[in-house]
Amino acid sequence: MVDKMRSCIEIALSPQLMDAEAQGLIKKARDYFDIGIEAGRCIHLVTMEADLSPDDLALVKDEIFTNPVIQVSSLSPLDVDFDWCIWVGFRPGVRDNAGSTAMEAISDLLKREFLPDEGIYTSKRYCLTGKNLSKNDVEKIADELLANAIIQQWKVFSRSEWDASKGVGAIIPKVLLNHEPKCDVMDIDSNEALQAISDARNLALNSRDIPVIRDYFLDPDVVASRKKAGLSQPTDVELEYISQARSDHCNHNTFQGLFRYTDGATNETVEEVNLFKTYIKEPTLALKDEKNWVVSVLWDNAGVGKFDDTNNYVITGETHNSPSNMEAYGGAITGIVGVYRDPMGTGLGSRLIMGSYGFCVGDMNYDGPLKAPLHPRRLLDGVIEGVKDGGNKSGVPTTFGQTLFNQGYMGKSLVFVTALGIMPSMVDGKPSHEKTTVPGELIVMSGGRVGKDGIHGVTASSEVLSENTPAGHVQIGDPYTQKKMHDFLLAARDEGLYGFITDNGGGGLSSSVGESAMLSNGCEVWLDKVPLKYDGLDMWEIWISESQERMTIAVKPENIDRFMALSKEHEVESTVIGEYTDSGKLHIKYNDHTCAYVDMDLLDKGFPQWEFDALWMPPALRGLTEPVLSPPKDVNALILSMMARPNICSKEWIARQYDHEVQGGSVIKPLVGMKHNIPSDASVIRPVLTSMKGLAFSQALLPWYSKIDAYHMMTATIDEAVRRLIAVGGTLSHMGGVDNFCWPDIQFHPVKNPDGKFKAAQLVRACRALKDACMAYGIPLLSGKDSMYVDGYLTGEFGEAIKVSALETVQFSATGVVDDVTKCMTLAPKVSGDLVYVLGTTANEMGASEYYELLDQTGLNVPQVNFDQFKVVYRALEKAITNGLTASAHAVARGGLATHGALVALGGGMGFELDLTRVPVDEKNGMPGMDALLFSESAGRFIVTVAPENQSTFEKMFKGMACAMVGRVTDEHSCFVIKGTDGKVLSDLSLDALEAAWAAPFGDMI
Amino acid sequence: MTTVNALVLTGFGLNCDMETAAAFELAGARAHRVHINALVGGKVNLDDFQILAFGGGFSWGDDHGAGVIQALKLKNHLGEQLLKFVDDKKLIIGICNGFQTLVNLGLLPGFDGDYTDRSVALTWNDCGNFRDHWVHLGINGKSPCVFTRGLDPVIDLPVRHGEGKFVADGAVVERLEANNQVVMRYALGDGSCAGGKFPENPNGSVGDIAGICDPTGRVFGLMPHPEAFNHFTNHPDWCCNLERAQRQGSFSIKQEGTTSGIQIFKNAVACVS
Repeated sequence: MVDKMRSCIEIALSPQLMDAEAQGLIKKARDYFDIGIEAGRCIHLVTMEADLSPDDLALVKDEIFTNPVIQVSSLSPLDVDFDWCIWVGFRPGVRDNAGSTAMEAISDLLKREFLPDEGIYTSKRYCLTGKNLSKNDVEKIADELLANAIIQQWKVFSRSEWDASKGVGAIIPKVLLNHEPKCDVMDIDSNEALQAISDARNLALNSRDIPVIRDYFLDPDVVASRKKAGLSQPTDVELEYISQARSDHCNHNTFQGLFRYTDGATNETVEEVNLFKTYIKEPTLALKDEKNWVVSVLWDNAGVGKFDDTNNYVITGETHNSPSNMEAYGGAITGIVGVYRDPMGTGLGSRLIMGSYGFCVGDMNYDGPLKAPLHPRRLLDGVIEGVKDGGNKSGVPTTFGQTLFNQGYMGKSLVFVTALGIMPSMVDGKPSHEKTTVPGELIVMSGGRVGKDGIHGVTASSEVLSENTPAGHVQIGDPYTQKKMHDFLLAARDEGLYGFITDNGGGGLSSSVGESAMLSNGCEVWLDKVPLKYDGLDMWEIWISESQERMTIAVKPENIDRFMALSKEHEVESTVIGEYTDSGKLHIKYNDHTCAYVDMDLLDKGFPQWEFDALWMPPALRGLTEPVLSPPKDVNALILSMMARPNICSKEWIARQYDHEVQGGSVIKPLVGMKHNIPSDASVIRPVLTSMKGLAFSQALLPWYSKIDAYHMMTATIDEAVRRLIAVGGTLSHMGGVDNFCWPDIQFHPVKNPDGKFKAAQLVRACRALKDACMAYGIPLLSGKDSMYVDGYLTGEFGEAIKVSALETVQFSATGVVDDVTKCMTLAPKVSGDLVYVLGTTANEMGASEYYELLDQTGLNVPQVNFDQFKVVYRALEKAITNGLTASAHAVARGGLATHGALVALGGGMGFELDLTRVPVDEKNGMPGMDALLFSESAGRFIVTVAPENQSTFEKMFKGMACAMVGRVTDEHSCFVIKGTDGKVLSDLSLDALEAAWAAPFGDMI
Repeated sequence: MTTVNALVLTGFGLNCDMETAAAFELAGARAHRVHINALVGGKVNLDDFQILAFGGGFSWGDDHGAGVIQALKLKNHLGEQLLKFVDDKKLIIGICNGFQTLVNLGLLPGFDGDYTDRSVALTWNDCGNFRDHWVHLGINGKSPCVFTRGLDPVIDLPVRHGEGKFVADGAVVERLEANNQVVMRYALGDGSCAGGKFPENPNGSVGDIAGICDPTGRVFGLMPHPEAFNHFTNHPDWCCNLERAQRQGSFSIKQEGTTSGIQIFKNAVACVS
């Protein structure tokens, strides 16, 4: 083989311009590591392995890669001064989005196609100067700020090592497999043999599934039918297919498992036969019957609700924890771009209209001995950026999000991503939420190509992270390719060109084709047709690879030409890779040789239910008590400390990076208030610009309460999401939920997981709470997912590995239709002289509160939700808001009345008074003291402001309910003033002081 | 009055096409969302339109400079047609990624009738990051720009970009200012120039420049998004404004009608009707 020509274009900003990227690096090096870089410049490298003439190269350099107004460039290394130079590039096989668009641009400019062995690769080098920079410093910057060894490689050059004529050298991270694709047969002579194969191939087969799999392949009828197809023992393609389909990620074995739940207080044991069925499916079906706006739930990629007479909305939520934990940027961008394919693959496909995020990470300033794969600070930087690029480049507004910190997430961080779409309720004369595959239809794969990336992603997230977890499943999402595909598929949908669509997520073709072929009852797949990123993939790899940005579509033969022509116009790659049949068989071929031939109903063949022992010990029996505490004396200082808590303080810098206005329907933004800086209770968008209807969205995360009881964690979380939605103008009569569970390992093991039974009991309790809350509030679960095994092994000071488990966490999202967006509300008071009300009672419920956490306490009295009592207040508030009686409304959440009163005050930018003697109380845990009135996190509460002229109407509406006027908004001063129960001023803080404290922790981040 | 046909480009990672089309419809035009390849392939003819909109988004992922590859593609395939469109005294608006594309094509600033010269650029924000933020904009009443005729001296619009810092050499900026081609500048609440102050000037633009036009005023590029202020509920202060207005009882903001964002599109439609 003749070597291709290699060339490299170096591009930098003109020297007189500020280099914002290099400045960002300098700031991080200083803030994170106290390393002083005096100056820096960033140089972009485009390395080409292609036979281009010198004229072509010059043209490409000048026309595409150099902006004459601001950039300088060269086909030899740029002469930029440095003491140290760091080069960072991708490892082979990692998705290089910029390399790919560069190739598109060059093809277009030179009117030349690239050959399969040609390629373009982007990388960067950073030229740093600093008298005191040591090699160690520079390597630390390379390794801990710029590159992640999982996806990137780096090199450091000192000035003396640098050869100005060679530069970094043309490094080509090309994948060369030199491998003849094959299909192996597997030995299933004994259970042990199959177990050994599972272990060796990382199939993560459950040991109890193994005999079932063997029985199937040894069944004489199966043997006979396989013999006709030319097969005997199972092939690797078949075992990989079964492994994917049986994984906890795809099959939800935990939620479908059998739980023996023992209450340690009474020693009574009950059997929970199927958590999913009992606590999710049954209540959702019951509510679907009650609520005529519920269109489609429980089977498709996302749930569907009615938006108006001609449109339905679609919602789902996902997590992408394990990959983000290893490669934060790649994991998060793949997560959000991935969850966006769910609405695209729901019904006949919807257009994306919004997204949200939830980040749970360890302490940003952690400096202890434990080593996580990524420091929480770096991890958060990466996931923020990943969701930014994934969301913004998809053209989808990210209108809501939350970030929280807890040491438990050092073991495994959580990245929640939620997606909403909208579709016309009818497409081509048929209901858009219905779809099926029909024998004779062609199986088409559209979008990206298949590579080795993402292989065994699903099975890896079904295991506790260990040093053996393969890192190969970390990918980089490509929102550009997906956006093109999104636009193309909507055009194809509107022309009625297909009857079924689904996404390629976990499990790749194995899942998307495997599941869609269940509908027609069979398929024949031609794996050799699947377009690959590079040659040399084995058949099983093509079948299960999770390479991103792909959809699977069923197209009738008569529509295929038009479908392909439209695909070409949109420059999206689409390929016919097989055909749906009614043979009852999953039949996979490669170059006409069969490499899988199994029954479509193989997966229903008596696989055993997973089983768990659950042991519940009530918190008091676990030794939890209330701390012995006297009321604080310096309340001013205390409130300022609370405002600066990482879980309370301003995180404006995150929300500002996300485009929350694209699509033009923004009504209630993520940041509200006079200065547009206070986090909103919820967001509202107007997805149909010709309509006044809105879609409200909120989410809540309260994992801390799991320290006491996951039942109350769940009810409080749902209650908060509900109140947040009502505060902006949502209503209980149309409210759908999405539950995203993230749970540590619950399978008891005396050595590896000694508290597994307790965590299993917490799961059972959370599921019970989910049903109780959904039934009480009337919230059908439109969608939901579970992510188990949120544990990690961290290396400690002495080389020991410690297992760190995350708190039992549920993110609950709520959404609903608002009939008239002009009735929507923000939390900020608007007019001086307005009256301040507190709705709902405050009780002595400081257990696991932010206040106790500040004092390093846990306590016992966790907030509890009284559905019947709260619901009455919520209905009344809905009515008050609709009738225009309120000027602002805010759900009191983490941090209690004091911190939320302060946020409301900051939102209004006016004086704000709160008299504790008037706050409605509940004495169930004794009379709440001053500290409880300030910081208890009792559920069910709002802070509302009302115009004086509406006072009597408003109060009549809440007659007999917990509702009290506690103060007023004033322009006579600009302070947040709290009067104590003794009538004296307990706290008097200027808004400036409050804002300064609240903004301080992350205030200099942009 | 003749029907005004506005073409809104789509495809290749562009993303504000739905609301830009909606804004034109609100302004009285017929909006057509057209894939770039439909124009390139000749399926749609530029001659059939009076207004061409380069909208926001991330064309080709903005991987090699915002709007760079889009400009290249259009220049290679539609260069002559675009120049004819300008010659025919038709209107072009470039918003955000579209503005970036116009300056890379050289359609702006269009000195001396040369619509191919790249002399200004939009580069990385000084703050180093993408930013979504409503800004105040001071409108230059002396500008020939047809899109901003009769607008209030200060309007509010959202910016949402990572590469919006306007850069040009001193002589070019002086010339833009002398010609009143600087249409809008980032401003303080009272309408005075932001003076480079962050976040009022969100990106470090030279001279607080947020939008410029060609000497004829018919080609207009701006970083802020007028199409995202298509309804009064888009404005971040609408809840407060509405509440206060209702208390005064003097007027209802709901009847206020056209937002300043939509007025920009109305001006365009009026100009070619």
